[in-house]
Amino acid sequence: MRFVSELSKGIVKENPIFVLVLGMCPTLAVSTSVTNAIGMGMAATFVLICSNIIISMIKNVTPVKIRIPIYVVVIASFVTIVDMVMAAYVPALHKSLGLFIPLIVVNCIILGRAEAFANKNNVLNSLADAIGMGAGFTLSLVIVATIREILGAGTWLNISVMPKTYDPMLVAILAPGAFITLGFLMALINMLKERK
Amino acid sequence: MGYLGEIFVMAMTAIFIQNFVLSRFLGLCPYLGVSKKLDSAFGMGMAVIFVMTLASAITFLIRKYLLLPYGLGYLQTISFILTIAALVQFVEMVIQKNSPALYKSLGVYLPLITTNCAVLGVAILNTSQMRSDGITTYNFLDSVLNGFFSGVGFTVVLMAMAGIRERLEYSDVPKAMKGMPIALILAGIMALAFYGFMGFKL
Amino acid sequence: MMYYLKLGVILLIFCAVAAGVLAYVNGLTTPIISERKAKEAIETREALIPNSTFEEKTAADSSYKYFVALDKTTKEVNGYTFVASKNGYSGKVETMVGLDKDFKVIDVKIITQSETPGLGANCVKDSFKAMFKGLGVENLMVDKDDKDNGKIIAMAGATITSRAIANSVHEQILVLQKELGQNDGGGK
Repeated sequence: MRFVSELSKGIVKENPIFVLVLGMCPTLAVSTSVTNAIGMGMAATFVLICSNIIISMIKNVTPVKIRIPIYVVVIASFVTIVDMVMAAYVPALHKSLGLFIPLIVVNCIILGRAEAFANKNNVLNSLADAIGMGAGFTLSLVIVATIREILGAGTWLNISVMPKTYDPMLVAILAPGAFITLGFLMALINMLKERK
Repeated sequence: MGYLGEIFVMAMTAIFIQNFVLSRFLGLCPYLGVSKKLDSAFGMGMAVIFVMTLASAITFLIRKYLLLPYGLGYLQTISFILTIAALVQFVEMVIQKNSPALYKSLGVYLPLITTNCAVLGVAILNTSQMRSDGITTYNFLDSVLNGFFSGVGFTVVLMAMAGIRERLEYSDVPKAMKGMPIALILAGIMALAFYGFMGFKL
Repeated sequence: MMYYLKLGVILLIFCAVAAGVLAYVNGLTTPIISERKAKEAIETREALIPNSTFEEKTAADSSYKYFVALDKTTKEVNGYTFVASKNGYSGKVETMVGLDKDFKVIDVKIITQSETPGLGANCVKDSFKAMFKGLGVENLMVDKDDKDNGKIIAMAGATITSRAIANSVHEQILVLQKELGQNDGGGK
């Protein structure tokens, strides 16, 4: 039972982006297209799952004083692995995510979950937490990307969805559009919460 | 164009044209988190400038003299982030010992900088940046200066944001928009304004 | 003292294990990555100048490499390909260029770019690349820089990217012409 609740909390109740407001940089930077959003979400989820498992496994042998450097080493290793594997097998996605793959290291969600959850809980619950948080992160990214891609390019997953006469609203794909889209989404979520 | 001209171009690019926060999307967590008060924004900005400059210098040396000669390019991410973490810890200890006053104003922000992606970002970007001639890559001095100017760019927008948000406290914002949503929309408008710098030919 | 030593040793063990794992994965992926890159380069060359075999040549001062395309049946020089690169708005932009034997552009392909999505990143689209076709070195300029001869119309909101591509191609053709002029004693 606990497993399920740890799994589901990341998606809605403690959604890392809309509720905890963590990991803003990749959210805003790679949400220009749904393809990028899914790629980034998967990469970060993979790192999160691996690092949460390892960190909860080694929680008894990590001295408190040097726990942060150790977490960073674990996370950075998995990020580098993801980086290399993506470069080998999905080069196009690797190119378009670019700098933001190595920067998964400093994604606050991953270090945050290590510190707040994995070093206090057993492997199974940490795994559930990681899957939930990863899914929540990916889902939020896809939502933001969907809005931006449809408004800014008139496509969804590179498939044209808007009528031919639609003139893409370029600003939605550029930096300002990212901030504004996320701002309105958060306001919408606040409003829904108030209603309840 | 002499070297001074080169530096001027670099400064303008890092501060306005390709601002770390508004056009590169780096360092957003502190940008949204520590911009509620002007004082704390200033403290954070100074700490970031300091760490970014030092980190640019050290990571450049590590890459040039340790990683590249021994073919260890794949250890770049892990060695950079460890360097930054160690550096932040070290700076914190030194400041604490030698200047309690400075520690009081900067101390709380220093640990946050480890997870500020702008610092790791500038270190990684320095490895691929090129001078305006498009052929030579950054040398040691270029990297350090780029780190410094990027930090300045971060501080400029952080403080501008804090200045606006301080006043926002007194205005009547719709309830659902309070806090993060209005801050994000504000950031969007600032980013739009900064797009005006983009067309400059330097 | 012993305590701190112990901390250091623990951290060292973690780093060593991490480095070992990374070295192993790196060993697995590097050959795949380089093989894929080589294959991509060959495919791009063949798409730019079809029906040709390519000979790799290094410039006399060994500062760059280019390829001479030879027709598969007649073995005559068909054209040249090379990679031109320059800094765009947010990083290096690399363009592979196919030239015919009179140094007119047959086609170009942007192989590396990290420009702004929606603006500079549009340089990979056909509408931008098509402007290069058939142009000689004197016309390979952005219209804003050279009103009379520049035939490359800069993309809206992405003058820097357009200029980087046009100028890198322009400069590299000049370099190549000089190189070949010296080698062949002024011949074609």
